[in-house]
Parts: sequence; structure tokens; C-alpha cells
Amino acid sequence: MSRDGQATVSRRRWLARGLGRWWLLGLLALILIAPELAPHAATDVVGLPYSSQGLFGTDHLGRDVLSRLLHGGRPMVLTSLAAAALGTGIGTVIGLIAAWWRPFVMRPWDAVAAVPSILVLLLILTAMPNRAGIVLAVALASVPLSARVVHAAAAQVIGKAHVEHAKVRGETTAWILSREVLPLIGTTVLADLGLRFVMAVYLVAAAGFLGLSTTSSDWGLLVVEALPGAALQPVALLAPVIGIALIAVSANIFADRVRGRA
Amino acid sequence: MRKLLSSLGLLVLLSFAVFVGVDLLPGDPVTARLGATASPARIAEVRAHLGLDRPVLERYGSWVLGVVQGDLGVSASGRPVTDMLSDRVGNSVLLSLVTLVLLVPLSFGLAVWAAWRRSADRVISLGALLLVSVPEFVVAGLLVLVFAVSLRWLPAVSLVPVGASPLSTPSVLVLPVLSLLLVGLAYAVRVIRSSAIGVLASPHVEFMRLNGASPGLVLRQAVLPAVLPVAVQVWLVTGVGFVGGAVLVEKVFGYPGIGELLVSSVQTGDLPVVQALVLIIGAAMLAALVLADWAVVVLTPRLRVAR
Repeated sequence: MSRDGQATVSRRRWLARGLGRWWLLGLLALILIAPELAPHAATDVVGLPYSSQGLFGTDHLGRDVLSRLLHGGRPMVLTSLAAAALGTGIGTVIGLIAAWWRPFVMRPWDAVAAVPSILVLLLILTAMPNRAGIVLAVALASVPLSARVVHAAAAQVIGKAHVEHAKVRGETTAWILSREVLPLIGTTVLADLGLRFVMAVYLVAAAGFLGLSTTSSDWGLLVVEALPGAALQPVALLAPVIGIALIAVSANIFADRVRGRA
Repeated sequence: MRKLLSSLGLLVLLSFAVFVGVDLLPGDPVTARLGATASPARIAEVRAHLGLDRPVLERYGSWVLGVVQGDLGVSASGRPVTDMLSDRVGNSVLLSLVTLVLLVPLSFGLAVWAAWRRSADRVISLGALLLVSVPEFVVAGLLVLVFAVSLRWLPAVSLVPVGASPLSTPSVLVLPVLSLLLVGLAYAVRVIRSSAIGVLASPHVEFMRLNGASPGLVLRQAVLPAVLPVAVQVWLVTGVGFVGGAVLVEKVFGYPGIGELLVSSVQTGDLPVVQALVLIIGAAMLAALVLADWAVVVLTPRLRVAR
């Protein structure tokens, strides 16, 4: 390839990377401010069922599809973020402990990992049918995966000379883990956070879809409500479906990029 | 063998966790069923009838005894759980098996093709990346829009008469299978592809090529033996993943499988059914995992000696 060609390629790649970096943040920011832009409340009846009133029309109860969509994104994203952060946080601590002292702290979590995440979600939501239940279920399903990733990454760093040096210097374990080990596996943890967020969106949307959501216009709930009337109001089904797909795919690409750099 | 025992242990643990967990719930299934206006005497009567007045451990013990004898207890609706499950287990197994049969050749072919040709890789990898992050019901929703709403080729709801097999009207199977397949395929292709790329870049493949081995020979002698153990494991893991996926897909299409039953039982708080389903799903899952371990050992001669 000629030198010109290479320059074009690298510029295009730079552009794509720049776009990729801001794309996810922009998307999330947009979803978070969306409720302020909604013309109606999520549960307001504004017209006849399945009419074409408003940009996206109305649903089976005559509520504005666009408003429900705009209102539903924020709780879904916030719940997913909280769950992903909690899962990766606990997973990182467990992974570090396992890498530093005893691998066997991973064992019980391996058992949890064997249970399908949807099952974990259903069981916990039977017990705690509220937002905390969703966060807890998603975090619980994420912890074993995060812990395994962090364990593998940290085990490599812990054998390095600068860690030995810090030990000999007499630093405390907590200090070494947070100052010498954690910074070196930062990208791994960040990529893991991205993947847990994808998983969290999946499960939070699934909870809504299964009728176990805690908000009135969760995107998963919008999908299940729109299914019977899909022939009459296809946009009501298409919009949340695309919304969920967009978040999940963007976060996955973000995680892929970060991992590629690690 | 040791693996088998530890799986059984895990199964017992799982069922016990469900039992105790459900017992610790703030809500009471009996009050939920009878309503807040029910008299205390009536509540006590129903509790005694359902055996809920006995301590947890005793109930768990008698439940396990029943399970061992093939009796899964009585649902809150009064029907024996075994009766409720018999048709549905078959339907779910059918759904998963059909999907798995399609998944195996498709994922292997697509993954090796993507590893072999860069031009094909672009499309296949992008497609897999898009599909792997999306919940099954989102894929199913799109499929409904395209094939049921716009094209009107296939039914949007899988209506199966009670007692009949979905096979009597195969068209109801197409969209559920396709939804499960696409998501499973995305995951399987990603894993198998990266394994195949690793093999194709290895020195012995380069040596074969330099010696003028045909692509067919390279595939048969180098790629297949190296990739197959990975592929078998991925297929079994994907098969296990169908449990979760099926819960969502069955709900989209109203397909009468165990996933749909699980969701409705969770919503109505029908505990005996939830317990039985967790047991069945857990057993199937652990069986698949044990099978995956065994398959890897069988397909990798190197590991056989290690015992």
C-alpha cells in the first residue's frame, strides 16, 4: 500500500476511534436527559388507542409512544450502570483477593456462575420485586465473571518486580493492591465494566420484558406491550427494540476497543 | 466421576437455596393467593393443606424424597407438577434441539470461512458483534416485524393446541428457532473464529501450505482437529444458554415451553412449579457442562493421559 493510502487509513481510524470514544457517552447522555424532552408523562392517555397522533403514534391504551420511550430510557440506563458498577466493583475486590492470597475464594462464585443469569434474575425478583432486586440480581450474575477476569490479570502483575519491591519496602497489602496492582489492570477493569454494562442492559431489559420491571415505561416493557399490536403500531415495537440494540451494541464495541488496547 | 458428584452437590445446593430463599421472602404465598380479606382461620387451613406450617428443613426433606420417587409435588393451582411439565419439557427440548442441530454446522462453517477469508470476515464479524450484545427478545421483535407484520409469511404467535406437538404445525417453530439461533450463532461464531484464526496462523499450517497442501487438506488435517474441541464446548455452552434465551423467546411467541411456564409461575408465586423447573433446568445445565468436559477429553488425546 502507498504511503498516501496508509495516511488515509490511519486518519480514518483516528476519526473512528474518536467517534467511538464519545459515541457511547453521547448516547447515554442523550438517554439520560430524554425525559426532560418528552411532550407528555409516561402514563398520560393523550388520544385514542393506536392513533397516529404525535410523532410515533399512540399505544394500545392511547398513551404517547414517543413520551413513553423518552421516559423509559433513563431508569433503564441508571439501573444498568449501578448494577454493572456494583458487579465489577465486588468482582474486582474478589479477583484481587484471590490473586493475592487464596484462589479458593473464587470457588463459591464458580457455582453462582453455573446458574444461568436469567434464572438468577427470576429467582431474586421473586423475592425482591423492586429496583434493588434488579440491581442485586444483575450484580450477582456479574461478580463471578468480573472476578475471573480481574484474577487472571492481577495474577500476572503480582509476580512483577515492582510489587516485590513494594513488599520488601514493607508497604501494606491494601496499599500495594490499590497503588501498584490496580493501575496496571485499569484498562482490563474498564473493559470488564463495559461488558458487565452490556449484560446489565440485557437483564434489565429482560426484567421489563418479563413484566417484572419497576418503572411504568421500561423499554423491555414497551416491547412486550407492543407485540400484540405490532401490526397496528409497528413503530411502538421498532423504537424500543432499536433503542436497546443501540445501547447494547455501542457498549460492546466500547468494551472491545478498550480490551484491544489493554 | 468426581465432576459428576460435585455437580450433584451443586444441584442439591441450588434447590435448597431456592427453598430457603423463597421461605425468607417478605411476601406470603397463601395471603397473596387468598387476598388480604381472607380470615385467619382460612389462611391457616390452606397453609396446613399446602404443608406450609411445617419447618423448612422438614419440607425440603419430604420434597427431596418425592423428587427421588419421581413426584414433584402439587402446584398451587392443585394440579400435580409432573402433569403440568410433561408436555412443556418436550416442547422446550424440541425447540432447543432443532436450534442446536442448525447451530452446529452453521457456526462451524461461518467461523472457519471468516477465519479463512478476510473479505468474508468483515461481514461475519460485524454481524456477530451486532447480534451477540442484543437480548433474544429484541431479535425476536425484529423478526416478528419483518416476517409476521410486513411479509405475513409466518405467525407472530406460536399457538399450539393443548396436548399437540408443535411439530404438527411446523410454521410456529420457525421464528422462535430463528431468534434463538441468531443470538447463539453470534456467540459461537466469535469463539470458534478466533480459535480457527489461531490455528491458521500457526507454523505447522504454514509448513503444510508451503509444501503445497490443498486448502481441503489443511482444513481436514490441521484446522478440524484443533478447533473441534473448542467448538464442541461452545456448542454445549450455547445449548445451556438456550435455557435463558428460551425463557425470553417462548414469552415473545407464547410458545408453550418450560420458560414460559417459569415466568408465569414466578409472577403468580406458584412455588412448587418454580422449584421443579429450577431443578430440571439446573440438571440439564449441569449435564451439559459435564458432557462438555468429557467431550474435550475425548477429542484431545493429549489430555487423556493426564489422569
